[in-house]
Amino acid sequence: MISSVLENIQGIEIYYIIGLLLFVVFFVVILIRTLRMPSKEAEHIKNSILNDNEIMTPSNK
Amino acid sequence: MEDQKVIYDNKTVKLFILATLVWGIVGVLVGVVIALQLRFPAFNFGLEFTTFGRVRPVHTNAIIFAFVGNAIFAGVYYSMQRLLKTRMFSDLLSKFHFWTWQLIIVLAAVTLLLGFTTSKEYAELEWPIDILIALVWIAFGVNMIGTTVIRRVQHIYAAIWWYIATFVGVAILHVVNSFELPISLFKSYSLYSGAQDAVVQWWYGHNAVAFFLTTPFLGLMYYYLPKAAERPIYSYKLSIIHFWSLIFLYMWAGPHHLLYQALPDWAQALGVTFSIMLIAPSWGGMINGLLTLRGAWDKVRDKAELKFLVVAVTAYGMSTFEGPMMSIKFVNQLTHFTDWTIGHVHIAGMAWNGGIVFGMLYWLVPKLFRTKLYSEKLANAHFWIATLGILIYAIPLYWSAVTQWLMLREYTPEGFLAYPNFLETLTQILPMYTFRILGGTMFMIGFLLMVFNLAKTMKAGSMVAQEEAYAPVLVELGARDPKKEGMHRFLERKSVRFSIVAFIVLAIGGAVEIIPMTFVKSNVPTIEAVKPYTPLELAGRDIYVSEGCYNCHSQMVRPFRWETDRYGEYSKIGEFVYDHPFQWGSRRTGPDLARAGVVGGPMYKNAAWHYNHFMDPQKMNEQSIMPKYSWLAEKDIDLDIIPVKIRAMQKLGVPYPDGFDKIAVDDLKKQASGIVADLKASGITADPNKQIIAMIAYMHKLGRDISTPAVNDSTNMATAKVVVETLPTTPADLNSGKEIFGKLCASCHGPEGKGQATFPNLTDDVWIHGGTPTDVVNTITNGYPVKGMLPFKSQLSDQQIKQVASFILNSLKK
Ligand code: HEC
Ligand code: HEC
Repeated sequence: MISSVLENIQGIEIYYIIGLLLFVVFFVVILIRTLRMPSKEAEHIKNSILNDNEIMTPSNK
Repeated sequence: MEDQKVIYDNKTVKLFILATLVWGIVGVLVGVVIALQLRFPAFNFGLEFTTFGRVRPVHTNAIIFAFVGNAIFAGVYYSMQRLLKTRMFSDLLSKFHFWTWQLIIVLAAVTLLLGFTTSKEYAELEWPIDILIALVWIAFGVNMIGTTVIRRVQHIYAAIWWYIATFVGVAILHVVNSFELPISLFKSYSLYSGAQDAVVQWWYGHNAVAFFLTTPFLGLMYYYLPKAAERPIYSYKLSIIHFWSLIFLYMWAGPHHLLYQALPDWAQALGVTFSIMLIAPSWGGMINGLLTLRGAWDKVRDKAELKFLVVAVTAYGMSTFEGPMMSIKFVNQLTHFTDWTIGHVHIAGMAWNGGIVFGMLYWLVPKLFRTKLYSEKLANAHFWIATLGILIYAIPLYWSAVTQWLMLREYTPEGFLAYPNFLETLTQILPMYTFRILGGTMFMIGFLLMVFNLAKTMKAGSMVAQEEAYAPVLVELGARDPKKEGMHRFLERKSVRFSIVAFIVLAIGGAVEIIPMTFVKSNVPTIEAVKPYTPLELAGRDIYVSEGCYNCHSQMVRPFRWETDRYGEYSKIGEFVYDHPFQWGSRRTGPDLARAGVVGGPMYKNAAWHYNHFMDPQKMNEQSIMPKYSWLAEKDIDLDIIPVKIRAMQKLGVPYPDGFDKIAVDDLKKQASGIVADLKASGITADPNKQIIAMIAYMHKLGRDISTPAVNDSTNMATAKVVVETLPTTPADLNSGKEIFGKLCASCHGPEGKGQATFPNLTDDVWIHGGTPTDVVNTITNGYPVKGMLPFKSQLSDQQIKQVASFILNSLKK
């Protein structure tokens, strides 16, 4: 009598599909945007963090 | 350009480091204690405050929120100031953050040991502490986003996106999972019930892993790994892509904790799909981390901090591959409820989180104290002992999981469970628990070495609490020029906007998972037969929650033959509608209890058995590792709060009749005296006001409503009696009878069949139900469920029943 409870709930898949679509669109946008970013710029950013030691403090100038 | 003076706040960083070390030791030590408890129940010390059920949450909370939490804050406060070339936004907030966080930790430890808990894993703390956590979290967020606003660099480096995602993610999770209705200062009921509560909880539980143990650590990795290796991160572009996909995907994957459980199929499918997709962004992070070290492997050989970071990133890769595999339904059969999960989380926790923290500290502490590490040798020793400890911890647990799973689902050729007694499968894996103690102890020794090493380092060096530095002023770039600036760069410049986008991305995942569950509630066909808890059962349930029984017992029978044969009918979603909070559990150290109240089912035990078992589980089952709960027979049920509880439940939609709160206490007393009378009949004198009575009532409620009431005793038996002329008496038969007796009967009738407590002696000439072969075989086959003798026809073949009967009549009687 109770065994049918585990069955799907009508129409609920729509959330699932919308969600997946959102993700795919979002992912593609991010991917394209990122790949089109100039590599030089990326290089610059990732190197910049290594320099923070170099800020001269009065004591180790 | 003019340089501006910046004064970095190192003091807060140092405080967080000290807190990390202190709480780390506490957390690991408590871990070793509970590992001991699971091997040797004497380490529960016979005190309510130190039983496994209460101490385990102290361990998990201490590790996650105290050790890891303080380490995150130390790492964030140090790196943010350097990355953004500015002091933290507000000293006051920093101070408030540090001290209130420590206060929360102390309150957490005290309240958990006192038994104040919501029973939601990793969110056990009661509502007043939840509010404090929310306040601190807001302070942290404001301080952090404020710092990004006053920064002196153009862009926000990758590490900080992860920090911001952490803030936003945890904020959402904490708020959504903490909706509860307080009924006293230290007790509340979850607003959600049953399946809905389970989904929200495991959406939280899964994402606590994501946003407390993953995102902040990826942030730390993006800063401390390049710093320690002195080379830039491998690919900045990869970091952008894997950042967004990871935070987007994580939020969806929660239901993989509830596969095969009473949850709609679509939710399970959602959880599985997204979990598998998660491999991609996770491995993006691992690859980025490992490739950063390309060409720098010689440094790894020399420096302990890099070794720790490498092991951490590798373990991250392993765990994020293992996790999605564990979400595949078939694999999940094995990994869920067994030690597999424990192995998995410890690889991730000890190697990934621990590794990043250790690596960071070995680099950061000398830096902060402007000196060299006291002993590189000791640090390397720490590395090896910890790594070995982790392996010795985890491998035996994987072994144990597989062993137990195989035993649980093994059938005899006659089609009966090969190991019908759950305890047998547990006894088999106990030696593995010895290894776990060893592994944990090694990890702790390594930790102590580090504390010593860092303490010496701190002593040798000197920290400048207010460190001066110079940085150029930031020139405002103003509106975006689409030709010159990519979208993501633009987002990075606008940190507040960035946080909002991160929030939206996270909220979508949460909404998709949670919103449909609100429909589930109205879509669940209510099961007519399921009735709300009586006041006594409700009191018992609250004791079950507060003792943390859910840490060892599940209440969720999955639809497998080897589970339904062992426990009874599988669990239905409609059974749980009155459960605030749900008690499905996540680890079966003991057997499932969902069908403990089904009279005539394989799990039913009568009141006298429960009474004796709670007083001393080892008396009933010598090898049991369940703690003693003898104080349940000493502590009174709190009657004053019963009407409040009933009213709270009514508010939550539980259909008690109007005015029921006024008669609830009378109802409770009536039911309690019934149980006391039942115990009396078995020769046990008990006081109806004691908690043990409520607990027995609750045990007998479990699964009762959906079972057909057992037909009582002898009348029915007589018609079904099978006549047995002779019993098998070969030595082989008697031996097998003896073995079965030891496994299935001794827990009640005593190892020699002489009876114990109220369970009858089978060796004398006094028979309640007759001592002929026919009588004995029929007693064993059909049992006298209401009187406490289980029916064994579903667990033993006819031949086995005859063998054990023969053993009783021929061997025991002599
Ligand atoms: C350390 C883990 C642990 C904790 C905590 C624990 N148990 Fe157990 N429990 C076990 C184990 C192992 C068994 C199986 C051996 C036995 O019967 O003692 C068991 C058996 C049981 C049984 C008998 C099941 C059956 O029919 O065979 C009941 C009932 C039970 N526990 C209830 C509780 C309750 C209620 C609490 C909380 C007050 C609790 N347990 C706490 C480990 C635990
Ligand atoms: C959960 C506890 C429990 C377990 C386990 C259990 N029994 Fe019993 N058994 C009882 C109780 C209680 C009675 C007394 C029933 C009554 O009073 O009617 C009983 C009665 C009996 C009797 C009848 C005694 C008489 O005086 O007529 C036999 C025979 C018996 N059990 C055999 C077994 C065998 C064989 C096993 C193992 C396969 C076993 N029992 C396992 C609780 C248990």
